[in-house]
Amino acid sequence: MINIQDIRDTARDMLAKGEVRTVIGYRRGSRGMPAEPAFITSPEQADELIWDPTCYHNLSLYLVHDSKIQAHLRKDTGAPIGIIAKGCDARSVVVLMQEHYFKREDVYIIGVSCEGTGVLDERKLAAQLNGVQPTLAAFDGDDFVITTAEGEKRLSARDVMADRCLECRTPFPKEHNAVFGEDKTGRQLAEPFAALTRFEAQASSERWDIWSHHFDRCMRCFACRSVCPMCYCEECVVDSITFPVTAQTSAAEKADRVRWIERSATRSENITYLLTRAMHLAGRCTDCGECDRACPVNIPIRMLNNKMEREAREKFGFEPGASIGGSSLVASFLDSDPGEFIR
Amino acid sequence: MSEQQAYEPKIVAFLCKWCSSAGSDLAGVSRIQYPANATPITIPCTGAVSPMYILSAFNKGADGVLVSGCHIGDCHYIEGNFLARRKMQLIMELLGFIGVEPNRFRMSWVSAAEGAKFAQVITDFVEDLKPLGPQDKLRKAERA
Repeated sequence: MINIQDIRDTARDMLAKGEVRTVIGYRRGSRGMPAEPAFITSPEQADELIWDPTCYHNLSLYLVHDSKIQAHLRKDTGAPIGIIAKGCDARSVVVLMQEHYFKREDVYIIGVSCEGTGVLDERKLAAQLNGVQPTLAAFDGDDFVITTAEGEKRLSARDVMADRCLECRTPFPKEHNAVFGEDKTGRQLAEPFAALTRFEAQASSERWDIWSHHFDRCMRCFACRSVCPMCYCEECVVDSITFPVTAQTSAAEKADRVRWIERSATRSENITYLLTRAMHLAGRCTDCGECDRACPVNIPIRMLNNKMEREAREKFGFEPGASIGGSSLVASFLDSDPGEFIR
Repeated sequence: MSEQQAYEPKIVAFLCKWCSSAGSDLAGVSRIQYPANATPITIPCTGAVSPMYILSAFNKGADGVLVSGCHIGDCHYIEGNFLARRKMQLIMELLGFIGVEPNRFRMSWVSAAEGAKFAQVITDFVEDLKPLGPQDKLRKAERA
């Protein structure tokens, strides 16, 4: 069991000594139950930090934001940033370091182990509560204790946990400076890729029926892109800023431009966008599930990334975010890579 | 049969300039007969093929996409085709996953000396594509 006071004390100490300039963590949100990201910059604020089953955000996104701001300001960053990271978040931080987005010494990873459980899936919880508004969620062994207007309710964590947490292979942040909670690696509540395997058991045409329905509904709000710590490109293939359209741009010039993906939210363009995104995240996605959570129309985006993760694991023995010095999936190869599909 | 023309699949073929492109040339100068369904696009190396090319080809109306390059060990850039082998496998799996027929995407190794093999690859591909009919899953909708 993690005692939140320990995390607060660590954060307070480090901020007081000036060892970190900010601690990125979670605090009580203003929307009832869900936690919200918190940026703790002074020791007094450290008591705001919380740790509960609604801490689902992958905070490494803010390390990316910070790096972009630092690059823009051209200032020496000085002390590192402290970040509270779950197993999946810590892997994201590792991938970012693998890609030289920032250096190891720029980050102080305060790891938290998900121990026997994981984080909540708000959709699953809503189904369990039948419309009652939850106000607070807390860990308790293998259960979650949910406080609602109608009193406390104890739910088995397995029933309301996010799929990715059930399938998680490494709920413990391997890369860390300090860590809280027990290492329960190997606890394995569900088979890895269980949801994916269930989906794949269907025939090709059934899969297309389901996916085409999802692709039709995507409205290209780019929430999945905004929430993803790996989608850090300054220029995304879907919205070119290199060639802006100005008042002087002629019609002929516009027509001549390569448009890999049009911005209109039509099926064909949505497919190209979502598949391109899945390809760009292959071997980089650490399955934090934020794209799935952020999607306003419930497209199972995580499944596309999950598919790539499994292919990489099964065919090339590749594990994303395994080590800082490791090579990336598509920039490396093995002589033993399968090639039977090639004629 | 009616006056309607028989369906001929459109293939976009990304051919490595060091081998498959020369291989297709050899098929031509050797007067080997093979279907004219493929539109060749010469690329510097299969390793340079971005999965976006493939998605884009389908998006813009291809019924099948072929990526063809040098045999393993023969890459002009030493390791380009090794990298392609990984990337193409990933995009192939992804397309299959969402329910695109697996026969719509194909990869082959054709050296500059294998004109006959190139003709065979195209012939087989066209044969496999014909029963699938036009590809309309990823195709951009016609503007009204």
